[in-house]
Amino acid sequence: MSHGPGDNQQKLITMWSPIQQTPTCVVILFSIHFVLKAEKFLKRNGISHDVIPVPREISSDCGMAVEFSCLEKERVLELLASADLRIAGLYRRDGKNSFKPISAEQITANVVN
Amino acid sequence: MSAKPAPIYADNAATSFPKPREVIDTVSSVLGSMSLSPGRSAHQYSLECSRLIFDTREALADFFNCPDSSRIAFTCNVTEALNVGIFGLLGRVLHPGDHVITTALEHNSVMRPLRYLEKTSGISISILPVSGDGEVMVSELPRLMRDNTRLIVANHVSNVTGAVADIEAIGRNKGNAVFMVDAAQSAGVFPIDVVSMNIDMLAFTGHKSLLGPTGSGGFYLRQGLSLRPLKMGGTGSNSETEIQPDFMPDCHEAGTPNTLGIAGLGAGVGFVNRTGLAAIREHEQRLCRLFLESVGQIKEILVFGPAADRERAAVISLRVKGKSESEVAQSLDRDFHIMVRAGLHCAPGAHRTMGTFADGTVRFSFGFFNTEADVTACLTALEIISKN
Ligand SMILES: Cc1ncc(COP(=O)(O)O)c(C=O)c1O
Repeated sequence: MSHGPGDNQQKLITMWSPIQQTPTCVVILFSIHFVLKAEKFLKRNGISHDVIPVPREISSDCGMAVEFSCLEKERVLELLASADLRIAGLYRRDGKNSFKPISAEQITANVVN
Repeated sequence: MSAKPAPIYADNAATSFPKPREVIDTVSSVLGSMSLSPGRSAHQYSLECSRLIFDTREALADFFNCPDSSRIAFTCNVTEALNVGIFGLLGRVLHPGDHVITTALEHNSVMRPLRYLEKTSGISISILPVSGDGEVMVSELPRLMRDNTRLIVANHVSNVTGAVADIEAIGRNKGNAVFMVDAAQSAGVFPIDVVSMNIDMLAFTGHKSLLGPTGSGGFYLRQGLSLRPLKMGGTGSNSETEIQPDFMPDCHEAGTPNTLGIAGLGAGVGFVNRTGLAAIREHEQRLCRLFLESVGQIKEILVFGPAADRERAAVISLRVKGKSESEVAQSLDRDFHIMVRAGLHCAPGAHRTMGTFADGTVRFSFGFFNTEADVTACLTALEIISKN
């Protein structure tokens, strides 16, 4: 596996572009490690997603979050649960800078523990 | 003027040299291609850098069969990892009056923290003895176990004699104690499976047989076990709170990490995986047997540690009759361009058991990149030195 600069540049260019066609959800994890772990599982399962800075409207934390189409919400939650990834928060994007929390009950209802 | 022969490096137990080409290339390309502060900012470089660290973490988790890569934290070497482990248990698992078992072959990176706790925190220590052939007597473990034995620390491979401890047997007999393994010399040569070996904490260093750069290392900590962090500070996570995160790996990774070293370590692990642990071990053991068989024929030389037919690492301690250790090492370096190490190798206990305290030994340690020609050159040099 190469980590060369060319490789990185390539990755940067082909990085996911934001998915704005359908309503999106944003999941907050506990740190960058878990964001990248989530990314690995989503990639492996062919689920389009974007790694984004945690939106200021959600938290003042300087970390990253994962955004994906709300149509994939159930599958994403299932995948995260199967990877033992605990969720710190789940939101629906209502507008460019507006996010509505999806309640804990709704999350746990979707996650088979 | 005669040409100076190529130097021979036989001090791989201190740090491995040379490093695989891909380790060098990774370090230099990473240094030249992005900023190296992971998980702090949200820009592309920071994210790419977090990915490098994530990839190394995942590679190490696979390598040691850790069920969850978030249970691996990076440190700057195994000394730091062992310090986090030993001091971090204090007040959580280890309390005044508790008992710890360790072995007679520990490095000072284990013995000094333990002796400090013995002196300052009322911890008592028992030492697993070593047999005549230099191997830790794991059979003595049940006899040493007490109701309040909370911690067992064992060095997997001795950096003085190359003896391999049966950590699987220790893991089987650890009872309720936390089992901590110093894998400084073994990781990258001998198979380690934290699950089947029942290891609660595995401390490793990146710059020896994992073939990474110095300044890299870390530990695996079993799920359910927590350690008080030795350092607190910025982690890039939970920035809104002034309380150190309590989850792995962030709780033990305050401060900007050695991204370069960790990326290089990832490349080192990649090299080891591609080459195969068995092939690496076979090569080193062949060199070791070749050395031991011939050195045994030089009558002025006394070799310590397990015999050639035992499973052992290519770390060989010896003495030349009538010559001091430093004199031998200096002559090897100056007259033959052979680099070895002389002295106690930071493990005074091992020398006490062998009767080589306080002068120590001359230590040859061969690595994957040494050749049979290197070993032959070492033998020729030793023969000349011992006859002079
Ligand atoms: C058995 C053992 N433990 C610990 C260490 C310390 O390693 P480091 O200097 O990488 O912390 C070494 C090597 O020096 C070693 O051989």
